[in-house]
Amino acid sequence: MYRLKINKIIIFFTLLIVFIPRINAVVEQTSEFYVNDYANILSETTENYILNKSVELNNINGSQIVVVTVKSLDGISIEDYSLQLFREFGIGDKEKNNGLLFLIALEEREFRIEVGYGLEGILPDGKVGRLEDVYIIPYFKSNKFDEGIKSGYDVFYSEIINYDKSYSNNNALINTVKGVNLYILFIILNVLTGTIFGVIRRIIKKKNKDNFDNSSMFKCNVAYVVVLILLLVIQSILNFGRISILLLGINILICATVYAPHTKLPSGYSTSSGRTRSSYGRSSSSRSYRGGGGSSGGGGASRKF
Amino acid sequence: MKKKNIFIIIMVIGLLLIASLYVFKYNNLISLNENVESKLSDVGVQLERRADLIPNLVNTVKGYIEHEQTIIDSIANSRTKMINATTINEKNEANNELTAALNNLYVIIENYPDLKADDSFIQLQDELAGTENRIAVARRDYNDAVMDYNKTIKSFPTNIIANMLDFEEKDYFEVSGDKTEVPDVSFED
Repeated sequence: MYRLKINKIIIFFTLLIVFIPRINAVVEQTSEFYVNDYANILSETTENYILNKSVELNNINGSQIVVVTVKSLDGISIEDYSLQLFREFGIGDKEKNNGLLFLIALEEREFRIEVGYGLEGILPDGKVGRLEDVYIIPYFKSNKFDEGIKSGYDVFYSEIINYDKSYSNNNALINTVKGVNLYILFIILNVLTGTIFGVIRRIIKKKNKDNFDNSSMFKCNVAYVVVLILLLVIQSILNFGRISILLLGINILICATVYAPHTKLPSGYSTSSGRTRSSYGRSSSSRSYRGGGGSSGGGGASRKF
Repeated sequence: MKKKNIFIIIMVIGLLLIASLYVFKYNNLISLNENVESKLSDVGVQLERRADLIPNLVNTVKGYIEHEQTIIDSIANSRTKMINATTINEKNEANNELTAALNNLYVIIENYPDLKADDSFIQLQDELAGTENRIAVARRDYNDAVMDYNKTIKSFPTNIIANMLDFEEKDYFEVSGDKTEVPDVSFED
């Protein structure tokens, strides 16, 4: 009975932490990562177009073009909003810093193209502004947002791809394999450690059935906590985010279950998902995208329309 | 084993642990310190970049606003001041003067629609706006670096080591209204 309750509590809290909506000033990345249409101004065709071309570009040279539309900036200046978004999403390759963010704020009628450190050479601020005036502003002034965004996307895409055409067949495969592998590795790691420690605890309990020697159980628990902390640290270094907590929850759950296997797992609990838009992202689809860890120094240009 | 031996072994292990702690903490402090210095020089870089844009700006607007010589002069002067500045403190002061002069210019320009529509001017405005944003970002990054550093040297047990080796607290870039208070940086450029 005691075991059952603990299990329930662990599961509940883990899921709660994982699914609770974050109270954050800027919007979160969707599972598509490259296109985040919170203001609902993009047609599905354009969204798919952007997604496919961005994935392709990322496979070619690691560069990432991300489009974000928001209903409102909520009082934040577009430069601050854009910088925060850029860095939180981690747009662009970590080494090359070749990311580009196209941010459109509907209510303020403002947009900004933010350029990562690595692209400042080919896209200086003056050029960005000029391209915006020629390829985006005409559409936006007549409220043709869908076409305007596609037009802008295309021109910046061609700038970037002409600059770095380092195409490597292997790169794409390696990147996807690396990404997926890492998660699998840590899922396995957590399951394994949970099982091992569950088994160890069972053995210790069995051995000490008659004499109440708690010291070895205590040592085992200490070791387990140390392992959990280690996993937590490594996972946060690898930027697992809230998945890390989920993994640890699974770890503890398995340990508890292996330790006392005749308890039934509680069934039929519902998960509360407070997110208004699309799935959680990393845990759901096998083909979810994320940022390469690139950063920006504040370069780019903004325009009002 | 004799109790005395066990005691000695524990002492030795204890000392080793403390020594390794010392090494790790020291290395951490060094890297945090370097990070602060690097972010500070980034601020300097952006300030210089801004100064570099000014001659172009002056040339572009000169033809249009011939009768506003005082404004042009004040801009050119603060730019010269910025170039001649050696420490980051001086650079920052000159930068503030430049900002004030530029603000005057932007007010005047409202009366010259031809200038506003000039392509080179538009490009320059974008460049200047970009640089100003970069300065703001560089300052923020510097402040973040200082915060990490200050937090570390103040927290236990690192503060003991920091104290021993004269790691001092660093100042932030503070912006109060229009005036920017400049940190008292104690290194020679």
